[in-house]
Amino acid sequence: MALSLDEREREFRALYAAHFDAVLGFALRRVDRPEDAGDVTADTFLVAWRRLTHAPHGPELRPWLYGVARRVLANHRRGERRRTALGQKLGERLRRELSARVPDTSDDVVQRADVTAAMRRLSARDQEVLELHLWEGLESREIAEVLGLTTAVVRPRLSRARSRLRELLGDESCNVLAPPGHHLSDRPTELTRKER
Amino acid sequence: MIPKLTDDAISRLPLEAGRAELLEEIMSTVAPDRHHDDLAEPGPVRGHRRTRWLVPLAVAAAVAGVASAPLWWGGPGQDRAPEVSYQSAPDSPGTGYRAVLTAPGWTVAAVEEDSKYGGEVDYEKGDQQLQITWYPDKTYQDYLLDRSYIEDPDHPTDGVPVQVLGLAGHRWAYTADDHTVMREPDQGHWMEIRGTGMDLDAYTALLGRLRLVSLPELESSLPGRFVSKAERPEAVQKILDGIEGATDATVPAGTTLDTRSEESDPYQLGADIAGQYACAWIAEYADAQAAGDQGRADEAARVMGTSRQWPVLRQMNPDGDYPEVVWDYADDLADGQVPDGYEDGLGCTSGTPSG
Repeated sequence: MALSLDEREREFRALYAAHFDAVLGFALRRVDRPEDAGDVTADTFLVAWRRLTHAPHGPELRPWLYGVARRVLANHRRGERRRTALGQKLGERLRRELSARVPDTSDDVVQRADVTAAMRRLSARDQEVLELHLWEGLESREIAEVLGLTTAVVRPRLSRARSRLRELLGDESCNVLAPPGHHLSDRPTELTRKER
Repeated sequence: MIPKLTDDAISRLPLEAGRAELLEEIMSTVAPDRHHDDLAEPGPVRGHRRTRWLVPLAVAAAVAGVASAPLWWGGPGQDRAPEVSYQSAPDSPGTGYRAVLTAPGWTVAAVEEDSKYGGEVDYEKGDQQLQITWYPDKTYQDYLLDRSYIEDPDHPTDGVPVQVLGLAGHRWAYTADDHTVMREPDQGHWMEIRGTGMDLDAYTALLGRLRLVSLPELESSLPGRFVSKAERPEAVQKILDGIEGATDATVPAGTTLDTRSEESDPYQLGADIAGQYACAWIAEYADAQAAGDQGRADEAARVMGTSRQWPVLRQMNPDGDYPEVVWDYADDLADGQVPDGYEDGLGCTSGTPSG
């Protein structure tokens, strides 16, 4: 579907406004330095801009963006940064702001530090599904979208990962293994269809 | 370490200038509509049939978008000899467009079959998984395009030419222990085989343990807990008997329950049947409420109020969240509310049981 420039810009502005915090949050929760989250965010939205006509609409858009951010993050960890056709690096100001303004400590976190520490003892695969579930508040179907897997694969994987984390946390587990619930408030009910 | 901030906390960070500047920077770059540039990043590996149940409209839109993209390379791998050839399972490759794994120690984790969208059988062994999926051949080129970006998001690759079950295919690696092969179309379908949690050698060995099968052969290969086509009518009746035993009610007057299902997986079959029953009674509640018929509404709420005792939902509960959805909706009715979006949530069609 071809969009006029005005339509494309309008659509992208809306997408950016609706999902900027989520994409930045996704990145910030997974990088070691705040400024790196700026790079991941910039590259993710650059991809979204380039692929706007192929981006899904509605509730599938957020998992799609997380999927893009996940690949961007993987590239970033390999030392690669996306550049524009002119070799321009985007988001320099955002990098600087993040570097200066992300706090070292906060009570407003998706989970307690001991849970984060326990999660690190799990396999990378278990960690990833748990992070998407507990940090981004995604359910199995959405996690499957992000990871490019089927729900049938993700559901038992998530279930096993939760069990393993529960074992590590012991009695402390009951209050920390529910998704935070502050994400994706627009998640539609159909996502629960046959989810397992 | 950076604290794992919530999105709400992030929204309160003073990043307005950087955020606004990045937006303008991005939009000042070329907004490519040429397909080359649209392919600058892979789409998520998507399009699995299961999502047809989840968000059918959105998926339809996404598929339409992909399908409209012109293909810009021709027949990858067609003019090259396969680098790797996987022999089929020990005795013979079998026939059919579905496949099963014949390696010892592997168990079936899930299975799905749909006459329109294709099917899938998932195997697991410890942390290893092998996923065999078959799709209608009209989707082949779209998936080939998508998979070509697996290894390099910026540069599509044809993958390693291989032979699987007597046909050419293409192999890519997501990671060192996660590989996939697309087998070219045959008998109106093409097949994808993805192995995770194993290195290439182990994956290659498994590809040599595949066997082509018909649907009856597939069903007969499944563990006893899966429901074959022949067993399905009895299984459906048993599910309904259990539900109606708890509710002491069949279906609302004037409603016919569509109990057709193609599901072999007991969880999915249970969702189909219990979902259709629940759809009928929630629709009855909505109709009664709209008509001001308190007696009918009370009866519908009562029926749904028993849903925590429906045997099928209790059996499904350890394996997934579908029962919770039904129970939440029942609570809504008890509170006098028609649950918003219940048709999508349960898979109803236009407020009537889905087929």
